[in-house]
Amino acid sequence: MHDTQKIFLQQINENKGIIHKVAKMYMDNPLDQEDLFQEIVMQLWKAYPSFKGTSKFSTWMYRVALNTAIVFFKKDHRKVDKTSLNEQIEIADFSDSHEKEEKLAYLYKAVQELNQIEKALIFLFLENQSHKEIAQNLGITEVNARVKLNRTKEKLQQIIKKNGYEF
Amino acid sequence: MNFDQLKDEWNNNNTQHQEVSEDMLKIKEARTPIDKIRKQMKQEFILQIASLILGAFVPKIFDFSMPLKSTYLIFYGIAVAFCTYYFYKFYTFYKHSYDLSIDSRKNLLWFYYEMKLNVELYKALTYIIGFIMISFCATALFLTKNDLLARILEQLSLTYIVLNAFITILIIGVLTELWARFYYGKHIKQIKVIIDSLDEE
Repeated sequence: MHDTQKIFLQQINENKGIIHKVAKMYMDNPLDQEDLFQEIVMQLWKAYPSFKGTSKFSTWMYRVALNTAIVFFKKDHRKVDKTSLNEQIEIADFSDSHEKEEKLAYLYKAVQELNQIEKALIFLFLENQSHKEIAQNLGITEVNARVKLNRTKEKLQQIIKKNGYEF
Repeated sequence: MNFDQLKDEWNNNNTQHQEVSEDMLKIKEARTPIDKIRKQMKQEFILQIASLILGAFVPKIFDFSMPLKSTYLIFYGIAVAFCTYYFYKFYTFYKHSYDLSIDSRKNLLWFYYEMKLNVELYKALTYIIGFIMISFCATALFLTKNDLLARILEQLSLTYIVLNAFITILIIGVLTELWARFYYGKHIKQIKVIIDSLDEE
Protein backbone atom coordinates (compact mmCIF):
# COMPACT_ATOMS: atom_id res chain seq x y z
CA MET A 1 0.00 0.00 0.00
CA HIS A 2 1.29 3.49 -0.90
CA ASP A 3 2.05 5.97 1.87
CA THR A 4 -0.57 8.42 0.54
CA GLN A 5 -3.20 5.71 0.64
CA LYS A 6 -2.14 4.72 4.15
CA ILE A 7 -2.36 8.32 5.42
CA PHE A 8 -5.70 8.79 3.68
CA LEU A 9 -7.19 5.64 5.22
CA GLN A 10 -5.92 6.64 8.64
CA GLN A 11 -7.53 10.09 8.34
CA ILE A 12 -10.75 8.62 6.97
CA ASN A 13 -11.00 6.09 9.77
CA GLU A 14 -10.45 8.81 12.37
CA ASN A 15 -13.37 10.77 10.87
CA LYS A 16 -15.59 8.00 9.48
CA GLY A 17 -18.36 8.94 11.89
CA ILE A 18 -18.97 12.04 9.73
CA ILE A 19 -19.56 9.91 6.62
CA HIS A 20 -21.89 7.57 8.49
CA LYS A 21 -23.91 10.50 9.79
CA VAL A 22 -24.15 12.07 6.31
CA ALA A 23 -25.22 8.72 4.83
CA LYS A 24 -27.93 8.31 7.49
CA MET A 25 -29.13 11.88 7.02
CA TYR A 26 -29.53 11.49 3.26
CA MET A 27 -30.76 7.92 2.92
CA ASP A 28 -33.23 6.03 5.10
CA ASN A 29 -32.77 2.60 3.56
CA PRO A 30 -29.68 0.77 4.98
CA LEU A 31 -28.71 -0.45 1.49
CA ASP A 32 -28.84 3.09 0.13
CA GLN A 33 -26.87 4.30 3.15
CA GLU A 34 -24.19 1.72 2.36
CA ASP A 35 -24.12 2.83 -1.29
CA LEU A 36 -23.81 6.47 -0.32
CA PHE A 37 -21.12 5.68 2.25
CA GLN A 38 -19.04 3.91 -0.43
CA GLU A 39 -19.66 6.71 -2.92
CA ILE A 40 -18.45 9.33 -0.41
CA VAL A 41 -15.33 7.31 0.41
CA MET A 42 -14.59 6.96 -3.30
CA GLN A 43 -15.18 10.66 -4.02
CA LEU A 44 -12.98 11.61 -1.06
CA TRP A 45 -10.21 9.42 -2.43
CA LYS A 46 -10.63 10.92 -5.91
CA ALA A 47 -10.55 14.45 -4.49
CA TYR A 48 -7.70 13.74 -2.05
CA PRO A 49 -5.01 15.32 -4.29
CA SER A 50 -6.92 18.62 -3.95
CA PHE A 51 -6.54 18.52 -0.15
CA LYS A 52 -3.61 20.83 0.51
CA GLY A 53 -3.70 20.63 4.28
CA THR A 54 -4.40 24.37 4.69
CA SER A 55 -7.64 23.50 6.52
CA LYS A 56 -8.49 20.63 8.86
CA PHE A 57 -9.06 17.27 7.17
CA SER A 58 -12.55 17.12 8.69
CA THR A 59 -13.44 20.57 7.23
CA TRP A 60 -12.46 19.41 3.74
CA MET A 61 -14.29 16.15 4.35
CA TYR A 62 -17.58 17.92 5.23
CA ARG A 63 -17.60 19.62 1.83
CA VAL A 64 -16.81 16.57 -0.28
CA ALA A 65 -19.18 14.34 1.73
CA LEU A 66 -22.07 16.82 1.57
CA ASN A 67 -21.53 17.67 -2.10
CA THR A 68 -21.55 13.96 -2.92
CA ALA A 69 -24.70 13.37 -0.86
CA ILE A 70 -26.52 16.36 -2.39
CA VAL A 71 -26.11 15.07 -5.96
CA PHE A 72 -26.39 11.36 -5.10
CA PHE A 73 -29.63 9.76 -6.19
CA LYS A 74 -30.64 6.40 -4.86
CA LYS A 75 -31.21 3.41 -7.11
CA ASP A 76 -34.64 3.75 -8.71
CA HIS A 77 -35.82 0.22 -7.99
CA ARG A 78 -35.57 0.58 -4.23
CA LYS A 79 -38.84 1.55 -2.60
CA VAL A 80 -38.98 4.49 -0.23
CA ASP A 81 -39.98 3.43 3.25
CA LYS A 82 -43.19 5.29 4.07
CA THR A 83 -44.00 3.73 7.43
CA SER A 84 -44.54 6.12 10.30
CA LEU A 85 -41.96 6.95 12.94
CA ASN A 86 -43.73 4.99 15.62
CA GLU A 87 -43.95 1.90 13.45
CA GLN A 88 -40.27 2.19 12.68
CA ILE A 89 -38.92 2.69 16.16
CA GLU A 90 -40.05 0.42 18.93
CA ILE A 91 -39.96 2.01 22.34
CA ALA A 92 -38.64 -0.91 24.32
CA ASP A 93 -36.37 0.69 26.84
CA PHE A 94 -36.61 3.97 28.67
CA SER A 95 -33.05 4.05 29.99
CA ASP A 96 -31.13 7.26 29.34
CA SER A 97 -28.83 5.99 26.58
CA HIS A 98 -31.67 4.26 24.80
CA GLU A 99 -33.77 7.37 25.02
CA LYS A 100 -30.96 9.33 23.38
CA GLU A 101 -30.54 6.76 20.62
CA GLU A 102 -34.26 6.72 20.12
CA LYS A 103 -34.29 10.49 19.85
CA LEU A 104 -31.58 10.38 17.18
CA ALA A 105 -33.44 7.61 15.35
CA TYR A 106 -36.52 9.85 15.25
CA LEU A 107 -34.36 12.71 14.03
CA TYR A 108 -32.87 10.61 11.20
CA LYS A 109 -36.35 9.49 10.20
CA ALA A 110 -37.78 13.02 10.31
CA VAL A 111 -34.98 14.59 8.22
CA GLN A 112 -35.92 12.27 5.35
CA GLU A 113 -38.81 14.67 4.72
CA LEU A 114 -36.41 17.58 4.19
CA ASN A 115 -34.86 18.47 0.84
CA GLN A 116 -31.14 18.04 0.04
CA ILE A 117 -30.18 21.57 1.10
CA GLU A 118 -32.25 21.50 4.30
CA LYS A 119 -30.55 18.24 5.26
CA ALA A 120 -27.14 19.89 4.72
CA LEU A 121 -28.17 22.85 6.89
CA ILE A 122 -29.32 20.67 9.78
CA PHE A 123 -26.26 18.44 9.47
CA LEU A 124 -23.81 21.35 9.59
CA PHE A 125 -25.73 22.92 12.48
CA LEU A 126 -25.59 19.68 14.47
CA GLU A 127 -21.86 19.46 13.70
CA ASN A 128 -21.43 22.77 15.56
CA GLN A 129 -20.73 24.84 12.44
CA SER A 130 -21.33 28.57 12.76
CA HIS A 131 -23.62 30.47 10.36
CA LYS A 132 -20.50 31.76 8.62
CA GLU A 133 -19.09 28.26 8.13
CA ILE A 134 -22.46 26.94 6.93
CA ALA A 135 -22.65 29.80 4.43
CA GLN A 136 -19.11 29.09 3.19
CA ASN A 137 -19.79 25.39 2.77
CA LEU A 138 -23.00 25.92 0.84
CA GLY A 139 -21.84 28.98 -1.10
CA ILE A 140 -24.60 31.29 0.12
CA THR A 141 -24.59 34.48 2.18
CA GLU A 142 -24.43 34.35 5.96
CA VAL A 143 -27.83 36.04 6.24
CA ASN A 144 -29.35 33.53 3.86
CA ALA A 145 -27.78 30.67 5.83
CA ARG A 146 -29.29 32.00 9.08
CA VAL A 147 -32.75 32.47 7.56
CA LYS A 148 -32.70 29.06 5.90
CA LEU A 149 -31.49 27.32 9.04
CA ASN A 150 -34.23 28.86 11.18
CA ARG A 151 -36.88 27.87 8.64
CA THR A 152 -35.49 24.36 8.44
CA LYS A 153 -35.50 24.00 12.22
CA GLU A 154 -39.15 25.07 12.32
CA LYS A 155 -40.00 22.65 9.52
CA LEU A 156 -38.21 19.83 11.34
CA GLN A 157 -40.09 20.58 14.55
CA GLN A 158 -43.38 20.42 12.68
CA ILE A 159 -42.46 17.11 11.05
CA ILE A 160 -41.55 15.59 14.40
CA LYS A 161 -44.73 16.92 16.01
CA LYS A 162 -46.85 15.72 13.09
CA ASN A 163 -45.44 12.23 13.52
CA GLY A 164 -46.42 12.19 17.19
CA TYR A 165 -43.08 12.56 18.86
CA GLU A 166 -41.91 15.53 20.90
CA PHE A 167 -38.50 16.17 22.43
CA MET B 1 -37.84 20.53 20.87
CA ASN B 2 -34.52 21.60 22.32
CA PHE B 3 -31.98 21.86 19.51
CA ASP B 4 -29.03 22.52 21.82
CA GLN B 5 -29.75 19.33 23.74
CA LEU B 6 -30.17 17.49 20.47
CA LYS B 7 -26.83 18.86 19.28
CA ASP B 8 -25.10 17.54 22.42
CA GLU B 9 -26.62 14.12 21.95
CA TRP B 10 -25.66 14.14 18.28
CA ASN B 11 -22.04 14.93 19.12
CA ASN B 12 -21.85 12.45 21.99
CA ASN B 13 -23.18 9.62 19.90
CA ASN B 14 -20.10 7.50 19.24
CA THR B 15 -21.48 4.47 17.50
CA GLN B 16 -18.77 2.02 16.46
CA HIS B 17 -18.49 1.67 12.71
CA GLN B 18 -16.72 -0.74 10.42
CA GLU B 19 -13.21 0.30 9.34
CA VAL B 20 -12.74 1.78 5.87
CA SER B 21 -10.46 -0.66 4.06
CA GLU B 22 -8.14 -0.37 1.07
CA ASP B 23 -10.63 -2.38 -1.02
CA MET B 24 -13.28 0.32 -0.62
CA LEU B 25 -11.10 2.72 -2.61
CA LYS B 26 -11.23 0.44 -5.64
CA ILE B 27 -14.94 -0.22 -5.68
CA LYS B 28 -17.27 0.34 -8.62
CA GLU B 29 -17.87 3.40 -10.72
CA ALA B 30 -19.04 6.74 -9.38
CA ARG B 31 -22.79 7.36 -9.15
CA THR B 32 -23.13 11.13 -9.38
CA PRO B 33 -25.60 12.32 -12.09
CA ILE B 34 -22.73 13.46 -14.27
CA ASP B 35 -21.14 10.00 -14.10
CA LYS B 36 -24.46 8.44 -15.05
CA ILE B 37 -24.79 10.75 -18.07
CA ARG B 38 -21.20 10.02 -19.06
CA LYS B 39 -21.86 6.29 -18.84
CA GLN B 40 -24.97 6.58 -21.04
CA MET B 41 -23.11 8.77 -23.53
CA LYS B 42 -20.26 6.25 -23.66
CA GLN B 43 -22.71 3.46 -24.51
CA GLU B 44 -24.30 5.57 -27.24
CA PHE B 45 -20.88 6.61 -28.50
CA ILE B 46 -20.00 2.95 -29.18
CA LEU B 47 -23.28 2.58 -31.10
CA GLN B 48 -22.61 5.77 -33.09
CA ILE B 49 -19.09 4.65 -34.03
CA ALA B 50 -20.49 1.28 -35.17
CA SER B 51 -23.14 3.09 -37.27
CA LEU B 52 -20.49 5.29 -38.89
CA ILE B 53 -18.35 2.27 -39.80
CA LEU B 54 -21.41 0.47 -41.15
CA GLY B 55 -22.31 3.65 -43.09
CA ALA B 56 -19.09 3.36 -45.09
CA PHE B 57 -20.38 0.09 -46.60
CA VAL B 58 -23.85 1.37 -47.54
CA PRO B 59 -22.99 2.02 -51.27
CA LYS B 60 -21.63 -1.53 -51.53
CA ILE B 61 -24.55 -3.13 -49.66
CA PHE B 62 -27.21 -1.33 -51.75
CA ASP B 63 -25.17 -1.45 -54.95
CA PHE B 64 -25.29 2.31 -55.63
CA SER B 65 -24.67 3.62 -59.12
CA MET B 66 -21.51 5.71 -59.65
CA PRO B 67 -23.20 9.19 -59.42
CA LEU B 68 -25.19 8.08 -56.36
CA LYS B 69 -22.06 6.61 -54.77
CA SER B 70 -20.16 9.90 -55.26
CA THR B 71 -23.05 11.90 -53.81
CA TYR B 72 -23.29 9.51 -50.87
CA LEU B 73 -19.57 9.85 -50.14
CA ILE B 74 -19.86 13.67 -50.06
CA PHE B 75 -22.73 13.46 -47.53
CA TYR B 76 -20.93 10.71 -45.61
CA GLY B 77 -17.77 12.84 -45.46
CA ILE B 78 -19.73 15.82 -44.06
CA ALA B 79 -21.39 13.54 -41.47
CA VAL B 80 -18.02 12.09 -40.41
CA ALA B 81 -16.54 15.61 -40.08
CA PHE B 82 -19.41 16.73 -37.82
CA CYS B 83 -19.23 13.52 -35.78
CA THR B 84 -15.46 13.92 -35.27
CA TYR B 85 -15.97 17.45 -33.95
CA TYR B 86 -18.76 16.43 -31.58
CA PHE B 87 -17.04 13.23 -30.46
CA TYR B 88 -14.02 15.31 -29.53
CA LYS B 89 -16.31 17.59 -27.45
CA PHE B 90 -17.90 14.57 -25.75
CA TYR B 91 -14.48 13.07 -25.09
CA THR B 92 -13.40 16.31 -23.37
CA PHE B 93 -16.58 16.20 -21.28
CA TYR B 94 -15.94 12.54 -20.44
CA LYS B 95 -12.38 13.19 -19.29
CA HIS B 96 -13.06 16.48 -17.50
CA SER B 97 -12.77 15.72 -13.81
CA TYR B 98 -14.82 17.57 -11.21
CA ASP B 99 -13.82 18.96 -7.86
CA LEU B 100 -16.23 18.18 -5.05
CA SER B 101 -14.25 20.17 -2.50
CA ILE B 102 -15.58 23.52 -3.76
CA ASP B 103 -18.70 25.01 -2.15
CA SER B 104 -22.06 23.33 -2.87
CA ARG B 105 -23.45 26.17 -4.95
CA LYS B 106 -20.46 26.27 -7.33
CA ASN B 107 -20.46 22.49 -7.47
CA LEU B 108 -24.15 22.28 -8.35
CA LEU B 109 -23.88 25.01 -10.97
CA TRP B 110 -20.90 23.26 -12.54
CA PHE B 111 -22.82 19.96 -12.69
CA TYR B 112 -25.93 21.67 -14.09
CA TYR B 113 -24.27 23.65 -16.89
CA GLU B 114 -21.84 20.90 -17.84
CA MET B 115 -24.71 18.42 -18.20
CA LYS B 116 -26.96 20.88 -20.00
CA LEU B 117 -24.26 21.92 -22.45
CA ASN B 118 -23.41 18.35 -23.37
CA VAL B 119 -27.01 17.28 -23.77
CA GLU B 120 -27.53 20.29 -26.07
CA LEU B 121 -24.44 19.28 -28.07
CA TYR B 122 -25.80 15.76 -28.26
CA LYS B 123 -29.14 17.04 -29.55
CA ALA B 124 -27.41 19.31 -32.09
CA LEU B 125 -25.45 16.35 -33.47
CA THR B 126 -28.63 14.31 -33.83
CA TYR B 127 -30.33 17.17 -35.74
CA ILE B 128 -27.31 17.57 -38.04
CA ILE B 129 -27.07 13.85 -38.82
CA GLY B 130 -30.84 13.69 -39.34
CA PHE B 131 -30.69 16.67 -41.70
CA ILE B 132 -27.77 15.18 -43.66
CA MET B 133 -29.65 11.89 -44.04
CA ILE B 134 -32.81 13.61 -45.29
CA SER B 135 -30.79 15.75 -47.69
CA PHE B 136 -29.09 12.68 -49.08
CA CYS B 137 -32.41 10.84 -49.48
CA ALA B 138 -33.85 13.86 -51.35
CA THR B 139 -30.78 14.11 -53.61
CA ALA B 140 -30.88 10.36 -54.23
CA LEU B 141 -34.50 10.62 -55.37
CA PHE B 142 -33.60 13.23 -57.95
CA LEU B 143 -30.62 11.20 -59.14
CA THR B 144 -32.59 7.98 -59.58
CA LYS B 145 -35.37 9.38 -61.75
CA ASN B 146 -36.33 6.00 -63.16
CA ASP B 147 -37.37 4.62 -59.83
CA LEU B 148 -41.01 4.25 -58.93
CA LEU B 149 -40.66 6.52 -55.91
CA ALA B 150 -39.15 9.28 -58.05
CA ARG B 151 -42.04 9.01 -60.47
CA ILE B 152 -44.55 9.28 -57.65
CA LEU B 153 -42.67 12.31 -56.40
CA GLU B 154 -43.01 14.03 -59.80
CA GLN B 155 -46.79 13.86 -59.49
CA LEU B 156 -46.78 15.56 -56.10
CA SER B 157 -46.93 19.33 -55.66
CA LEU B 158 -43.92 21.28 -54.41
CA THR B 159 -45.88 22.49 -51.35
CA TYR B 160 -46.63 18.91 -50.43
CA ILE B 161 -42.95 17.90 -50.70
CA VAL B 162 -41.76 20.91 -48.66
CA LEU B 163 -44.44 20.25 -46.05
CA ASN B 164 -43.36 16.61 -45.84
CA ALA B 165 -39.72 17.56 -45.40
CA PHE B 166 -40.71 20.02 -42.69
CA ILE B 167 -42.81 17.42 -40.85
CA THR B 168 -40.01 14.84 -41.09
CA ILE B 169 -37.51 17.29 -39.54
CA LEU B 170 -40.10 18.15 -36.89
CA ILE B 171 -40.54 14.46 -36.04
CA ILE B 172 -36.75 14.05 -35.75
CA GLY B 173 -36.71 17.09 -33.45
CA VAL B 174 -39.51 15.80 -31.23
CA LEU B 175 -37.97 12.32 -31.02
CA THR B 176 -34.56 13.79 -30.14
CA GLU B 177 -36.09 15.99 -27.45
CA LEU B 178 -38.01 13.05 -25.98
CA TRP B 179 -34.95 10.79 -26.13
CA ALA B 180 -32.75 13.40 -24.40
CA ARG B 181 -35.43 14.13 -21.80
CA PHE B 182 -35.95 10.45 -21.07
CA TYR B 183 -32.26 9.56 -20.74
CA TYR B 184 -30.66 12.76 -19.48
CA GLY B 185 -33.38 15.26 -18.56
CA LYS B 186 -34.27 13.64 -15.24
CA HIS B 187 -30.83 14.27 -13.73
CA ILE B 188 -30.64 17.85 -15.00
CA LYS B 189 -34.09 18.58 -13.58
CA GLN B 190 -33.15 17.14 -10.18
CA ILE B 191 -30.04 19.31 -9.98
CA LYS B 192 -32.05 22.39 -11.05
CA VAL B 193 -34.55 21.79 -8.22
CA ILE B 194 -31.67 21.69 -5.70
CA ILE B 195 -30.10 24.90 -7.11
CA ASP B 196 -33.48 26.64 -6.87
CA SER B 197 -33.92 25.58 -3.26
CA LEU B 198 -30.44 26.97 -2.51
CA ASP B 199 -31.27 30.28 -4.18
CA GLU B 200 -34.61 30.82 -2.43
CA GLU B 201 -34.43 33.72 -0.02
